[in-house]
Amino acid sequence: MVFLTFPCLIRNRGPDRYWRVQEVLKNARHFRGRKNRCYSLAVRAVRRAFVYATKGRHLKKRDMRSLWISRIAAGSREHGLKYPVLVGNLVKCSVQLNRKVLSDLAINEPRTFQSLAKLARARQEEGFRAALGDGSEPPGVLSRVVLLQ
Amino acid sequence: MAVTLKNGCSEFLRSCWRLRSFQKPLGCLLPAFVRQQSSQILKYPPSYIPETSLSRPPWPEVKILDPEEEAKQHQAVVLKVNTLLEKGDYGRLFAVVHFASRQWKVTNEDLVLIENHIEAECGDRIRMEKVLLVGGENFTLVGRPLLGRDLVRVEATVIEKTESWPMVHMRFKRRKGFQRKKFIIQPQTVLRINSIEVAPRLS
Repeated sequence: MVFLTFPCLIRNRGPDRYWRVQEVLKNARHFRGRKNRCYSLAVRAVRRAFVYATKGRHLKKRDMRSLWISRIAAGSREHGLKYPVLVGNLVKCSVQLNRKVLSDLAINEPRTFQSLAKLARARQEEGFRAALGDGSEPPGVLSRVVLLQ
Repeated sequence: MAVTLKNGCSEFLRSCWRLRSFQKPLGCLLPAFVRQQSSQILKYPPSYIPETSLSRPPWPEVKILDPEEEAKQHQAVVLKVNTLLEKGDYGRLFAVVHFASRQWKVTNEDLVLIENHIEAECGDRIRMEKVLLVGGENFTLVGRPLLGRDLVRVEATVIEKTESWPMVHMRFKRRKGFQRKKFIIQPQTVLRINSIEVAPRLS
């Protein structure tokens, strides 16, 4: 289209109305009811669908993460560990596998996952041993047990 | 606990039956009777100490490992893995690589779709250097966090560089006259994993 003056460009109503309507209806052809053929209903439904699609792309990441976490939790319970114990101790071992890979290993590579669980268990026991020390009281502390004796 | 409960219930029922057989209005005596019965059942031996939060420490039993024995076990594991590696008896390997800010579990002849462009032409062979884990049939090598570059070699070829289909990005606020519509097209790259190789010996 050629516009000789700027006001003409502003006043024009865009492309042919028929094609504008078809653009919207194209996205609504699979909808249920009159939404798939009446423009004024279709416009709202299509807009809503696009907004949902946009939000869903972000939500998918969150949902997948929680799904992986519940899968890892189930897998680690099989080896007698809780989820936070497994993940926390793997982090302490500086094993930086993420949740996606861990859940994949739990499902498809059970022996690898078992070795990771063993690693986490060993690290946990090491932490307990370091925390308990040799079982003696620290100097200068009078605990209730000492007073009773 | 469940057993004692069951016993208590059966005793209770039996006592009720007995009371009914007397055919006398003994309803007021019933609770005391039952109480006496149940207290007889729940009598524990004098040595019994109820389990509370103080009867045991909250952490599990910790074994004290002998460092020599631990070293021996370590040696045995390393020897076993080394023999497996030397023989090449590990089946089809898989690896977890960190690539394009994501971790991928890959094996030979896998296709990997990356939602971005990379600085290599189509047909180029690239090497993935951040390998987090390699697994065979009978062993797994776990990096802390990465495995050495001379230990594992994962190679891939860039097959295709395309664009994703247009995704609609739409934001809308009702009653505020706010509406934005945008089409997002993401560049994509397809890689083919050619080979995963492990060095014949652990360093």
